[in-house]
Amino acid sequence: MVRDLVIESTALTKAYGPHVALDSLDIKIEQGSTGLLGPNGAGKSTFLKTILGLIQLTSGEGKVLGYDIRTQGDQIRQRIGYMPEYDALNPGMEAIHQVRYSGELIGMNPNIALQRAHQALEYVGLGEQRYRQVSTFSTGMKQATKLACALIHDPQLIIADEPSNGLDAQARNFMLTTLDTTVKQGQRSVLMASHLMDDVERVCDNIVLLHKGKLAAQGKIEDLKAIDREVEIHVWGSASKMEETLSDRGMKVRREGRVMRIGHTGEETYNQILEAAADVGTQVRRMHDHEASLEDLFLVIMERLGHDVKSSDDLLRDIV
Amino acid sequence: MTDEESLETPFDPVVSKEESFGAETPVTGKTKMQAAWSADSDDSNSTAQVASMSQGQIFQQIYQPWEGTLNPRWMRNWAILRHHVLGIFRKGHRPWNIPTKLFIFFVIIASMTDVALALLFGMIGEASLYDIWGVNRDNMYGHVMGFFPRNILYYPIVAALLVGGMISEDRAHGTSAMYFSRPINRFDYASMKFLSVALILFFIIDGTLALYYFADILVMGKGWAWIIDTFPMFIATFLCGIILSFTYTAIGLSLSSISRGRFFPAIGLVAILMGTRAMASIIDALFDKSVLYVISPYDAVAHVCQALIGTEMTYDHPWVWSLISVIVINGLAIYLLANRVSSLEVTRE
Repeated sequence: MVRDLVIESTALTKAYGPHVALDSLDIKIEQGSTGLLGPNGAGKSTFLKTILGLIQLTSGEGKVLGYDIRTQGDQIRQRIGYMPEYDALNPGMEAIHQVRYSGELIGMNPNIALQRAHQALEYVGLGEQRYRQVSTFSTGMKQATKLACALIHDPQLIIADEPSNGLDAQARNFMLTTLDTTVKQGQRSVLMASHLMDDVERVCDNIVLLHKGKLAAQGKIEDLKAIDREVEIHVWGSASKMEETLSDRGMKVRREGRVMRIGHTGEETYNQILEAAADVGTQVRRMHDHEASLEDLFLVIMERLGHDVKSSDDLLRDIV
Repeated sequence: MTDEESLETPFDPVVSKEESFGAETPVTGKTKMQAAWSADSDDSNSTAQVASMSQGQIFQQIYQPWEGTLNPRWMRNWAILRHHVLGIFRKGHRPWNIPTKLFIFFVIIASMTDVALALLFGMIGEASLYDIWGVNRDNMYGHVMGFFPRNILYYPIVAALLVGGMISEDRAHGTSAMYFSRPINRFDYASMKFLSVALILFFIIDGTLALYYFADILVMGKGWAWIIDTFPMFIATFLCGIILSFTYTAIGLSLSSISRGRFFPAIGLVAILMGTRAMASIIDALFDKSVLYVISPYDAVAHVCQALIGTEMTYDHPWVWSLISVIVINGLAIYLLANRVSSLEVTRE
């Protein structure tokens, strides 16, 4: 099923003098939840500023919710909710008024903004704390308040920059659940920039991976995991001979005792393994696909990219 | 508890307790509320049912959509202005600290001493004292541009307290992201902040000036001839109040924009205003040259205002030099402000 694109860019490039921060990005982000990944200096912040329509492009073009990022920044920012990574709250204000004011800055009527602020704070779990000053809040409560500020006008797209930054396990769990609920129950789109692969994997269906300003990979997490797909087998007897035979047949094998992981190259992989076992006379007591975590995937992609990123097409071509 | 039981109930059930209270039961801190809620008119024993284990989910997360209409740009700017100005009087807006609010209140009261004294001596019919305090060219100039106490103790200090955290705190707290990730551009942000400070100063300086002038007309029953005679002076003085508010705000906000705290912009503004004047007055006293007063924002504005209102000139150099100085000082301050506001970040500060 092809869903509407919330963000799309074509050859989007941003350079600061000789330094190219974003290099010819062709990105398509569908409705739903998407993780924006990349190591430090990958260009995530520049990309976020670009799609918010805050900085001028060097070349290329892009659209957010159908609006041109070069000329319609105001319309874009009115329709998205941005949750910054760092503190963006006035510590002397009560949470309810902080959220209300952020709604007024979008253009909401003050009375309606106050009403929505109550709803938004209730939604993020701060219903009982809404009249407390932000300075008395814990990090988790501040993060939740920032999310309420982003959600007050019921935006079509929420951009959450490191939403679980500095949170303990319970607060992190609640934050991720809230984002997930916003996507599934609220039918809103979330673009979540994070260093934490587990968080992204829990909330997002898709990822966009940037590296040194270039697009390293984008697509569904499940599809991208195929890059690092392996078949895990548990053998009994002649394990080293089995490993040797598999390697002789051109298969990529990693072995730890009686457990082996063999690179998945297609549906014929299973038969090849069984044939090798029959030849060697080894019992295969268990065989199943090994599902890589997003972190494994990230490391594999980074390893393959090395210091010279080409494009995600090249990356995938090398693997299959 | 056996293993089987522990599988069925993951935690110990709370046993329902029944406690009784009689007339002789001592009311301790622990049972006071229970005794009170179960008090009857007769002497019969009352029972209190102690709540057992709470069940069910109290918090239910439900996403509530909103399909309202968003207001245009002027309404967003109005929100910024209201946020800063109303914060002086009401909760829920910009949290100005108590000393700032108290000092503004004090300055408003102190700025009206001429109003009170003029009315007092006018009403008791003391003509010689009324002439000293009543509305005239010099007194109107003095209301806005008088150095002591107004332009050493009142207006610069109010300006310093107002501009202190105006932009610097947005930089320190990261609240600039709240503005720029919304459809607020940097011009609107800076201009509304500027207008907020300038308006508060304007209300203090020109508001009390207007009160001084119109109270004199109403209470002393001034005639049309007097009004026609003095109204141009009032307008000129009013304009001087605007120039003074603008200049103090421009310098103060530019200092606020290059800082991350309250102290530096506040002390910086007072230091610039007082330091330049002190230096110029020393040079004037030593070498009898008043031209260095052009570097003093207060003196430059005062000189222009003397020319506008038509009071006696206290500077030797041409007033046009001071006018140029006012334009240059404000231009530089606004350039610095614009430059620094454009560097405020959204994603990281």
